[in-house]
Amino acid sequence: MLELARLTKRYKQLYAVKGLNMFIEKGEIVGLLGPNGAGKSTAISMLSSLIEPTEGDVRFHGKSILKSPGELRKVTGIVPQEIALYPELSAEENLQFFGRIYQLKGKQLKQRIEEVLELIGLQEKRKEVVKKFSGGMKRRLNIGVALLHQPSLLIMDEPTVGIDPQSRSYILETVKRLNEEKGMTVLYTSHYMEEVEFLCDRIYIMDKGNLIAAGTKEEIKQILTSETTVLIKVEQLNEKFVQRLQAEPSIHQVSTGENEVTVIVPKEIPVFKLILNIAEHTDIELLSIEMKATTLEDVFLHLTGRALRD
Amino acid sequence: MNGVLFAKIKLFIRTPWTFVIMTAMTILFTLILGTSNPATFQVPVYSLDNSLEDSLIYKALQDNKFIQFQWRSMESTKQKVKKGKAELGVELSANDFKILVGVNSPKVSIVEHTLQEIYMDKLKQEKMLKGIKDKKTRIELKEQLEDIAAHAVFHIQTMEFKGEEDFIYNNLFQRVFGFTLFFVIYTIAYNVFHILIEKRDGIWDRIILSPIKRWEMYTGNLVYSFVAGYLQIIIVFLIFHFIVGIEFNASLWKLLLVMIPYVFAIVALTILITALVKTVQQFNAIIPMLSVSMAMVGGAFWPIELVQSKPLLMIADLIPITYGMELLNGIAIYNYSLEQLFSPLSILLLMGVGMTGIAIHFMERRYI
Repeated sequence: MLELARLTKRYKQLYAVKGLNMFIEKGEIVGLLGPNGAGKSTAISMLSSLIEPTEGDVRFHGKSILKSPGELRKVTGIVPQEIALYPELSAEENLQFFGRIYQLKGKQLKQRIEEVLELIGLQEKRKEVVKKFSGGMKRRLNIGVALLHQPSLLIMDEPTVGIDPQSRSYILETVKRLNEEKGMTVLYTSHYMEEVEFLCDRIYIMDKGNLIAAGTKEEIKQILTSETTVLIKVEQLNEKFVQRLQAEPSIHQVSTGENEVTVIVPKEIPVFKLILNIAEHTDIELLSIEMKATTLEDVFLHLTGRALRD
Repeated sequence: MNGVLFAKIKLFIRTPWTFVIMTAMTILFTLILGTSNPATFQVPVYSLDNSLEDSLIYKALQDNKFIQFQWRSMESTKQKVKKGKAELGVELSANDFKILVGVNSPKVSIVEHTLQEIYMDKLKQEKMLKGIKDKKTRIELKEQLEDIAAHAVFHIQTMEFKGEEDFIYNNLFQRVFGFTLFFVIYTIAYNVFHILIEKRDGIWDRIILSPIKRWEMYTGNLVYSFVAGYLQIIIVFLIFHFIVGIEFNASLWKLLLVMIPYVFAIVALTILITALVKTVQQFNAIIPMLSVSMAMVGGAFWPIELVQSKPLLMIADLIPITYGMELLNGIAIYNYSLEQLFSPLSILLLMGVGMTGIAIHFMERRYI
C-alpha cells in the first residue's frame, strides 16, 4: 500500500532521517518506535506528503506521491502530535470545520460528526469549547478529526502524549477496534513500548534518524535470544555499584531506574554469582534479582545502549 | 474556501476584542486629538531690532490665527525654551529669523513655514516699493497695499494652513485618516496572526494535508483579514460622517472605495511578515514596531509634507500608509481627479500583489 525507499531528510549537515526503507500493507497496524528526536515525526511528515524528502521516494500503490500527493491525501487521516484544533471553537465546530475542508457537506457531514462524536465518546461535550477540555478529551477529539472522512490509512504521531491512563487506554482500544472492525490501516508512532506491543503487528525501530530494527514483535525479540535481561532491585542504589556493572566485560548493557538496574548479559554467564559478587564489593543491599522475559524495551536497550525514554 | 471562512468567522465572533478595541481606539484618539485646534499653540518671539514692532512682519504675526506669537524679551524666550516651557522660540531680524528649538516636533516645521511666508511677502512688497523712485508715490503705494491687505475685494477664508507647495492642513481629517490607517494595521495583523497560531498548533499542516486547494486556503485567509480590516474602516468613517458630522468633501463613498487597495496592501504586508517570522513572539515584536514607524514616516501622525529628510521621504515611498493618506487627502481636501488617484491606487495594488506573491512563496517553500 505505502512504501518508503531510501527516504532521507537533511537539514544542512544534520540528518533528521537517513535512508529509511519501510512498507505498510493494507489492514495492518505498523508501529514506528523510537525515543524523542529519533526522526519519527520527520518520517511521518514525509510519508504523509507534507514535506519533501532530501532524497528517496514515497510510493502509494506504486505511484510516487512527491509529484501528485492528492490520492494519498484523500484516503489518509493524520493525527499530529500537537493538539491541532481551534481552542476557541466547540468540539462540534471543530469537526464541522475539518469536515468541510475534507469536502463533506450537509447531511453527510452531520452524520459523520455524530458517528465520530460517538466513537470518541464526546457526544455530551459537543457544544463545549475545546480550551475547556481535559488533555485526554483534546487528544480524543484530535483523533476524531482525522477520522471524519473515513480514511483507509490512519497515521498517528504519538497520539497519547501527556494524558491520563484511562484516556490512553480508551484511545488504544479505539485504534484496535478501527483496525479490526473497519480494516483501517494504521501507522502508529510512539516512544511508549507497551502501546506498540499492544497494538502493532509489525514494528520499525528508529534511533538518531536511522532504522535500527524491523519486523514482527517476535522477530524483533529474537534479536535477544542469546542474551538475558536481568532486573536487579536494591535497597539504595549507589554510583559505585552501577560503575562496577558497567565495567564488567560480560555485561552488555546497563540501564538504571529508581533503586533498580536492568542489565543484559549473555545466557551462558552465571549471572547471579556475578551480581552477588559485585554487590558485596560495593556495599549494596540487594532486594531481588529477576530474570525477565524479553521486551521491546530490552531490544532497544540492546541496540542503542539507551532506554527508550532517555 | 468556505470551510476556512466558516472557521474564521466563528473565531471572529468568539473573540472580537481586537476588532472592537482597535475601532474604539481609532474613534477615541481622533475625537481627543482631532477636535482640539492644533494650531493655537503659543510661540515666544523676540527681536533685537526695535523697529520691527511697527513693521509688516509684526502685523502679520499678530494677525496669524493659528499660532499665537507672544512678544517676550530675549532672556525670557531663551529661558522658556531651555526649561521646556515652550517647544520653540523665535528670534526675528529685519530680513531673517532664527528658530530656537527645544523639542524637535512638527510645530517647528509649521512655524518655519509660516515665517517663511511672511518674510516672502515682506520681500515682495519691498521689491515693489524699491522700483518707485518718487517718495510720495512710494508712500501712497505702500498705504494702498496695506489698505488692500486690510480691505481686500475677495476674502479667502480657510480653516487650514496653506504652504508654499499648496499643502493644506486639516487637523480633523489628518486625525481621522491617520488613526484609521494606523489602527487598521493592528486589526488586520491580529487576524492574519491566526495563520501563525495555526502553523504553531499544527492546524495549518492538517489543512495542507486535506484535499482543499492551496488557492482556496490562501484566498480564505486573505478574504477574511481583508473584510475585517475593511469593515473597521467603514464603521469608523460612517461614525465620523453620520454621528460626528464630518462631510469629507461629500465623497464618503469615494473614500471607502480607495481604501480597498490600501487594506489589500496591508493584508499582504502582514501575511508576508507571517511568512518570514518563525515564532509568535517575533510577530508580536515586529508588528507594533513596524506599524508605528510606518505611521510616523508615512504621514499618519503628522502631515508627510512636514518631513524634510530625503532618506525618510524615500522610505515613505515604500510604505502603504503614504499612499493611503495621499488617496484620502486627495479626495477629501484636494479634489483629486481619477488620473491623480491612479498612481497611488496602482502602487498599492502592486504592493499587495507583490507582497502576497512573496509571502506565498515563503510559506510554500516547506511543503510538497
